[in-house]
Amino acid sequence: MVQTTMARERLFALREQIAKLEGHAAPALVAQARAEALKACLDAEETDAPVGAQDYTPVPDRLALRIPALDQALEGGLPLQAISEIRAESHRDAGAASGLALALSACLRARHASGNPAEGPQASPRRAGQPLVLWISDRFCSREDGRPYGIGLEGFGLPSAALIEARPRRLEEALFAAEAALQSGLFCATILEIAGNPKGFGLTESRRLSLRAKAAGRPLLLLRLSGAEEAGSTALRLQVAAAPAQARRLPDGTPLAGSLGNPVFRVTLEKSRLPAPLTFLLEWNPHACQFLPVASADDAALARPAHSGAVPAASGHRPAAPPRQAGRISHG
Amino acid sequence: MADAGQGAAAGAGQGGPAAKNAGAGKGAGACQGQQEAGEGETLLVCAGQRGNAMALTGLSPSAAARGLRLGQPLAEARALFPGLDVRQEDAAADRQWLEQLADWCDRYTPLVACDRPDGLLLDITGCAHLFGGEASLLAQVLREIGALGLHAKAAIADSAALAGAVARFGPGGVIAPGGGRAALAPLPVAALRLEAGVVTALHKLGLRQIEALLDAPRAPLVRRFGPDLLRRLDQALGAQGEPISPRRPVAPVSAERRLLTPIDTVEAILSLLAPLAEAFLPQLEERGTGGRLFELVLFRVDGIVLRLSAGTSAPLRSPARIAALFSARLANPQTVLDAGFGFEIVRLNVLHDGPYKTEQGRLQGASGEAEAGELSLGAFLDSIAARFGDHFLLVGTHRESHLPERAVETLPAARALLAPAQGRAAGQTLSPVFARPHRRPIRLLDPPELMEAFAAEVPDGPPAAFRWRRLRHQVRHAEGPERIAPEWWRDGQGAATRDYFRVEDEEGYRFWIFRDGFYDAAHLPRWYMHGFFA
Repeated sequence: MVQTTMARERLFALREQIAKLEGHAAPALVAQARAEALKACLDAEETDAPVGAQDYTPVPDRLALRIPALDQALEGGLPLQAISEIRAESHRDAGAASGLALALSACLRARHASGNPAEGPQASPRRAGQPLVLWISDRFCSREDGRPYGIGLEGFGLPSAALIEARPRRLEEALFAAEAALQSGLFCATILEIAGNPKGFGLTESRRLSLRAKAAGRPLLLLRLSGAEEAGSTALRLQVAAAPAQARRLPDGTPLAGSLGNPVFRVTLEKSRLPAPLTFLLEWNPHACQFLPVASADDAALARPAHSGAVPAASGHRPAAPPRQAGRISHG
Repeated sequence: MADAGQGAAAGAGQGGPAAKNAGAGKGAGACQGQQEAGEGETLLVCAGQRGNAMALTGLSPSAAARGLRLGQPLAEARALFPGLDVRQEDAAADRQWLEQLADWCDRYTPLVACDRPDGLLLDITGCAHLFGGEASLLAQVLREIGALGLHAKAAIADSAALAGAVARFGPGGVIAPGGGRAALAPLPVAALRLEAGVVTALHKLGLRQIEALLDAPRAPLVRRFGPDLLRRLDQALGAQGEPISPRRPVAPVSAERRLLTPIDTVEAILSLLAPLAEAFLPQLEERGTGGRLFELVLFRVDGIVLRLSAGTSAPLRSPARIAALFSARLANPQTVLDAGFGFEIVRLNVLHDGPYKTEQGRLQGASGEAEAGELSLGAFLDSIAARFGDHFLLVGTHRESHLPERAVETLPAARALLAPAQGRAAGQTLSPVFARPHRRPIRLLDPPELMEAFAAEVPDGPPAAFRWRRLRHQVRHAEGPERIAPEWWRDGQGAATRDYFRVEDEEGYRFWIFRDGFYDAAHLPRWYMHGFFA
């Protein structure tokens, strides 16, 4: 099911041929130009002061991520009535992938709570009480990567009472729960965690869930941990990997050396309307409940000292001792 | 073989309103019985330990006809009839079988008690008219028990003790109100359920029938035999009450459907549920309550009774939702329902109910939307809980603890979200010390995983690198330590202090690791991986 490089090359070649016949510009070149423009846009936006200041038109069934270039690439934002897949290449990226899924859920929650009537009837809060998020966990992933941790989620922009965790024993139970949750229309986001590419979750099941999501007008975030690209009925697929966090900012705006700031995700648009994959860095600000673009080649942020503690001064009278090793022992 | 077993059961059942099962009817011994049957008649008996000897505990009709009696020593019986076919009694199976029969009798009245070892007591107050009167009820019970292959005797009387005495020692039948004295008079004194010693003493004095006790002066009887004799006599005459303790709590609200043709499909059962729930709606409305715990009772044609229960998070009245609850419950793969030859009675009970808040319906608008497939949170949680169990949907609630794994307790979602008095939601009642903890990972490993740390700063710095799950991570940056002291009041003095670090490796992965304990001369503390940040 994975689109091989060869096949992709042939597809592009065919497209170009068609374009030539029809007298348009070659799509690959257009796509490349668009991707470069987007990247430049994303990189440039980091320095812009108010992100919300640019005006963009909200699209009805999309969750705008409030980064105009990205929203434009996603045709208005995250689709609200479909499956969006968040894929991690390996279990090591589980933290980042879960983080992105939870961050998107927090955005969906905020949108649901605000209930902006301009954004369509789906946005209005249908009932009293706080909007809920359902996390359908996978047994294997729970053992391998841990379970969602309430207090951590609180600091991540999602109150722990707003997250219901389902613990199915088998995949069929998970799919049933996902379907029931979508159908009930109770949850502003449903996260379905899947380990790898199980046989029980194929085209049929994904199509079924996608139709459910469409009928109920509720988004499903498919969190695939340690799985390969797979053809399915998902409207959007993001591949997520961890990326180094930036330093925390002091009140005057200067970065605090040796601190770990907000989480940063390396997101690749794998399946979208864009003709070519696009990779960019996103920072999640839990307090503002907002994504911010990060300049990808920010080498200055990466070049930080490993240890926050003061480095002891080298002793003058000991010629050969390397100063970085002082005060450490090796064990293990 | 089945015939041999039931024959023994019938013999033993002569004494009581219901019969007693000979548990040893099936086994290797049955073949011997059939072989001897070719030579002549087989005397089948059950024997068990009584005191220090083996005694007969059950007789087949032929054995009873040849003069063997219950309680007779086995050695004596063997001496009389050397070809006796003896089976070991199985008291546990007898008890279980009596319980099953009691379940079966639930069709007549909800108040059924076991009168061990071989009887059942049914409180039919207010039930007899449903079966066309007492005599008709009695005939129906005997006919239907007979259809199960049992010999039984039954009596209806003003008091449980009188009915038991007449059924066991008398002719049975309906004793008219006020006819207790006349019915008791000819019965032996043993019918009063006295201790064996008292019965022997009465026999020695020539007091063999209850008649002799009825008009005797009471004071000398009490002096001689203790208060028990007259208490039993008064209970039999109805002068002193005797409560029947039912086997199950009587459902406050209940509805049932008796079927001419037995049903054996899930669809058929489900189609009956909504009408049943509809039927007890007026009762619930009268009580001003809604059901919290429902029970579906299925009476199989062969006398087995199956029960399924389903709870709700809030009092419930809607028939459609009650039916949906059981539909989910029956869809649970762990629910095994053996329909056998079908179910003849389907009953829906409300075991617990709670005050129901009625809401005025709207003329149009939101109520219409709610009917069109939209579920309330309670309905969703209930249907999932009925299908997969209570602990399928969980919500984390905060607890007052600094240890990460204790600081969050998961509760069933229905309890945490819909009954906030029990599950403290959102940490409002926590002391401020716990309400805003430091940065915590979004995924927590349980239990923490051991890892190998290299070149850690002494005494309380982060490692320069660590190996976890066979991969080496070079720490590029670390924040910490955050020191968490052990809870000595729970873990004892030996528990170690943990120093937590948030670390980021060269590839940008962010981990939560801790050192378990301090460095000392004797040993190096171990390092653990405990969670992952986004």
